[in-house]
Amino acid sequence: MATPTEARDTRVSPEQVGYLAGGPQRAAETALARLLDAGLVRVSRNGVVSAVHETDLGVTTAVETGILVNLRQPVRFEPVVRKAGGSAEMRALYQQLRAQRLMRTPRPRLGAWWVFLAIGVVLALAALLQPWTLLGAIGFLAFAYWSYGAKPLTKAGRAVLEAVDADDRVLTVAVEGFRGRIRNQAVGDLFGLPQSVVKTLPRKKKPRRGKGRGAASSAGAGCGAGGGCGSSGCGSSSSSSCGGGGSSCGGGGGGSN
Amino acid sequence: MVGIKDLGVGIGWRSEIDLTVERLPGVDFVEVVAENLHIGHLPESVTLLLERGVPVLPHAVSLSLGGADPVDLHRVEHLGAVAEAVGAPMVSDHVCFVRAGGLDSGHLMPVPRTKDALDVLVANVKLAQANLPVPLALENVAALLEWPDGELSEGQFLAELVERTDCWLLVDVANLYANARNIGTDPERFLDEIPLERLAYVHVAGGEQHGDIYHDTHAHAVLPEVLEVLDELCSRVAPPGVLLERDDNYPSDTEIATELAAIRAVVDKHRG
Repeated sequence: MATPTEARDTRVSPEQVGYLAGGPQRAAETALARLLDAGLVRVSRNGVVSAVHETDLGVTTAVETGILVNLRQPVRFEPVVRKAGGSAEMRALYQQLRAQRLMRTPRPRLGAWWVFLAIGVVLALAALLQPWTLLGAIGFLAFAYWSYGAKPLTKAGRAVLEAVDADDRVLTVAVEGFRGRIRNQAVGDLFGLPQSVVKTLPRKKKPRRGKGRGAASSAGAGCGAGGGCGSSGCGSSSSSSCGGGGSSCGGGGGGSN
Repeated sequence: MVGIKDLGVGIGWRSEIDLTVERLPGVDFVEVVAENLHIGHLPESVTLLLERGVPVLPHAVSLSLGGADPVDLHRVEHLGAVAEAVGAPMVSDHVCFVRAGGLDSGHLMPVPRTKDALDVLVANVKLAQANLPVPLALENVAALLEWPDGELSEGQFLAELVERTDCWLLVDVANLYANARNIGTDPERFLDEIPLERLAYVHVAGGEQHGDIYHDTHAHAVLPEVLEVLDELCSRVAPPGVLLERDDNYPSDTEIATELAAIRAVVDKHRG
């Protein structure tokens, strides 16, 4: 299959698609997939990843460079992904996505958000009789909106993801992850990776599907790598619950407020 | 040739490149380092290759048959057990010693080419053969020095070894090339002197020049000059097998495939 350096019909790279679809770990998987696709690294049957020597040309991103630097000595598959997912390069990638307004700081939803909404509606109705309650209605409705929370992907980010057509194996990893399946085939098989190796990666909860034409129709990103969630405080390390998206940080959903 | 069937073109199986070896086109046989395998749990990749019918030949590096120390029969038995586990038609080691006086050199040390050293080697080889279930082939090593007072050329030494032990020869053309560069061995004379009818198979490997020394690294590309030595050998005899050895700095699958194709081209050229 072709080696893509950009997701087709989008302005984002496969790594960025991976980040949008599954957070920093997915982006790391995507970078590794690209290196495998380009023949710059190889994986052995027992899951050891090593750099292919004398072919250090062909690296296209900072995350890929970081992975290769980490592979001066062979490293096992899962730690390669985990380390890249928590790297400074991955944080920079997250900042790029924020700068492109494809991601934002996620905000957790408060359990009682609907109470504020209900009060706001009641006050709004009451304003028909007592106009002064309109101020309270606006306040409660605004607070309900805020407490509903925000998913990490912006509308533009979701649109990019929906436009992705994962028709090569690197983008397939970006969208589905190495542990995913596509057309009844394990994604890892596209790279000849044994399942025993692929299954060392943490399983990511399948996101809710949307109506998009691409395989990435409604996936949602996890929070940022190594503090990429900004001030939300969700996940300051790659091994946190935020790692693969779909977490308590708000990843995995198609919609935000 | 009795006992050694046509092997074709192969590659040294290493765990780091196991998936590469599995998917490379045109790998007719593989060689495994016997000391890296454990009886009872062969690597999944080796099992897979065996299931595909790919011959797997154990290659030892630690028998130290050229040494004055007694042969370690546990190592010989392990080599034999690996051969039986993979159904190998033969096993191999080197004409060298790797330990002496309780010290391990960590390197394949050349044997002095004297009658006395040959007597020791012959006795050790016969003992190993008596404890192995399959024929033994012995490989010429690359040397950075020659011991003083040598009485035989390398080819004569190997020829007499074969005559006295009935062992097979594993000719490493990269080692031969290295010796030509470093200690002045004449590859053509070497090939003239050894009994080519006892050739089991051939090793091909890469190396690198460092200053005045050519290092048989097995970690660099195969030089055209090494393929020329293979060509010279193939002009004299059709080798039962030729194997690419790579032990480190593994290149891309494409580069490995290209090296295998280059080896096959040399072999096929002489087979018409």
